[in-house]
Amino acid sequence: MSEILGLWLEWLPRLLGGLWLGCKVAGLSLILGIPLGLVLALTVQAKSTVLRAATLVVVEIGRGTPALVLLQLAYFGLPSAGLTLSAMAASVLALAVCAAAYTSEIIRGGLEAVAAGQKEAADALGMSRLDKLRFIVLPQGLAVALPPLLGFSITILQGTSLCFAITLPELISQAYAIGASTFRYLPALVLASLLYAAICIPASMLVGVLERRLGAHHRA
Amino acid sequence: MNETSATDIRPLVLVEGLRKSFGSHEVLKGIDLSVQRGEIVAIIGPSGSGKSTLLRCVNQLETHTAGTVTVAGVTIGPDSASHDRELQKLRRNVGMVFQSFNLFPHLNVLRNVSIAQQRVLGRSQAEADERSMQLLTRVGLADKAKQYPARCSGGQQQRIAIARALALDPQIMLFDEPTSALDPELGLEVLAVMRELAEGGMTMIVVTHEMHFAEDVSNRVLIMADGEIIEQGPSREVMQKPQTERARQFLSAVRDR
Ligand SMILES: Nc1ncnc2c1ncn2[C@@H]1O[C@H](COP(=O)(O)OP(=O)(O)O)[C@@H](O)[C@H]1O
Ligand SMILES: [Mg+2]
Repeated sequence: MSEILGLWLEWLPRLLGGLWLGCKVAGLSLILGIPLGLVLALTVQAKSTVLRAATLVVVEIGRGTPALVLLQLAYFGLPSAGLTLSAMAASVLALAVCAAAYTSEIIRGGLEAVAAGQKEAADALGMSRLDKLRFIVLPQGLAVALPPLLGFSITILQGTSLCFAITLPELISQAYAIGASTFRYLPALVLASLLYAAICIPASMLVGVLERRLGAHHRA
Repeated sequence: MNETSATDIRPLVLVEGLRKSFGSHEVLKGIDLSVQRGEIVAIIGPSGSGKSTLLRCVNQLETHTAGTVTVAGVTIGPDSASHDRELQKLRRNVGMVFQSFNLFPHLNVLRNVSIAQQRVLGRSQAEADERSMQLLTRVGLADKAKQYPARCSGGQQQRIAIARALALDPQIMLFDEPTSALDPELGLEVLAVMRELAEGGMTMIVVTHEMHFAEDVSNRVLIMADGEIIEQGPSREVMQKPQTERARQFLSAVRDR
C-alpha cells in the first residue's frame, strides 16, 4: 500500500498537469459553445423557416454525432479540407460544437419555462421584442437553465478524456503513458479517476444545492 | 405627435364588428363598443363568454379575425399583419392589469415599475425611479420598493401591477378580473385603489365579478354571453332592471352565490 502511495506521489505532478489541460480544454469549449448554444436556442424559434431549418440541422448533427467522432473529424479529417489544427485546437473545436448543440437544447428548455404571462406583461407594457427578450425572458430562462448547464459542464470536463484519442496529453493520456512505461496501469488509472472524482463529485453536489435554491426562489 | 387631446370628442376606444375565432371556435361574434374619455365600463357575464378575449383584443394581446380596434387614433385591422411598431404605438396608450398580476419575479418592486418607463418611454433611471416612487406611494407600497414580488401579498402584488401600468401614463386602463385571485379582504385594497383611479378621471374597462364595483363605480355595464353583448346601459339600470331574460338569469345567479 505504502508502495502505491509512493508511486502516486511521484506521478501526481504529471497527472495534475494533464487534469489542468483537460480543465482548460473544457473551459475554452464551454466559453465558445455556450454562447453559440444561446444563439441556436434563439434561432430555432425564429420566424424565418430557413433559419429554423438550418438551426435544427446544426443541432441534430452536433447531438447525433458521438463526441469521439467529432474529435477525429476535427483532428484527422479537417487537414484533408486544408485546415490543420493542433490537438489542443481540434479538441476545443470539437467539444465546442458538441457543447453548442447540447446547451442550445438546455437553454431552449429554460426559455420555454418562462410563463406566458411574463411575455404578455412585457407586451402589454409596449416593450419591443428585443427588450422583452433581454430584460424579461432571458434572465428568467437562463436562471432555469443554469443548473443543467453546470451539470453539462461537468460532463464536458469528463469528455475531455476522449481527447486521448487525438494525442492531447490530458489526464487519461498521461495515466496511460505512465502505465505504458511502468507497467502499473491499474494504479495510474485509479489515481486518474480519483482526480476526476475529486472535481466532479463536489461540483455535482454544488449544482444540486443551486438547483434547490433556485427552485425555492421560483416557487415563492 | 399625439393625435388626440383632452377635448377630443371622438371615443377613446372604438371596437367595430369585432370577431375572434380560435380555430373553428368563434369566441367573439361581432362586438361593437365605444368608450369615451373618462368613462368607466364594467364587463360582466358568465365564465367563457369572451370577456377576457375582448379585453385582450383591445390591446392586441390577441389578434382578431374581423373588424377593427381603434385606441386613441391608432387603428388595427384583422389578423394584423400590423407591424410591431404600430402595436407598440397602440399599447403605449393602454395599461393592463391581469388576474394573476404577472409581476417580473427577478426584478425588485422598483425595477418592476421603472423598467418599461426606461425602455419604452426613454426616461432616465432617475426620472423613472422618481415616478415609480410617486406611484408606489399612491398605492401605499413605497416601503416595498426594494423587496422582490414574491415577498409581497397578492393584494400588494396587484397594487404594484397597477402602479407599473400607470407608470407609462396610459390613456386607458384595462383590468381583467383584478381581484379574482385574491382573498376578499386583499381584494378590497385593490378595489380601493381602482376607485381612487376612477375618481381621478381615468378611463377604465373592467372585467369583474364584483357586482358592487360594477354597480357603484362604473358608469356603464356590459353583460356578455356566448361571445355577444346581450345587454348594456347605465350601471344602475342594467344591474337593477335588466331587460333580457338571459341577463336576469345571470344576475340572479351571481347574487345567489
Ligand atoms: N388561447 C385560446 N385558445 C383557444 N381557445 C381559447 C383561448 N382563449 C380563450 N379561449 C376560449 O374562448 C372562450 C372565451 O374565453 P374567455 O375570453 O377567456 O372568457 P371569459 O373571460 O369570459 O371567461 C372560452 O371558450 C375559451 O375556452
Ligand atoms: Mg376571463
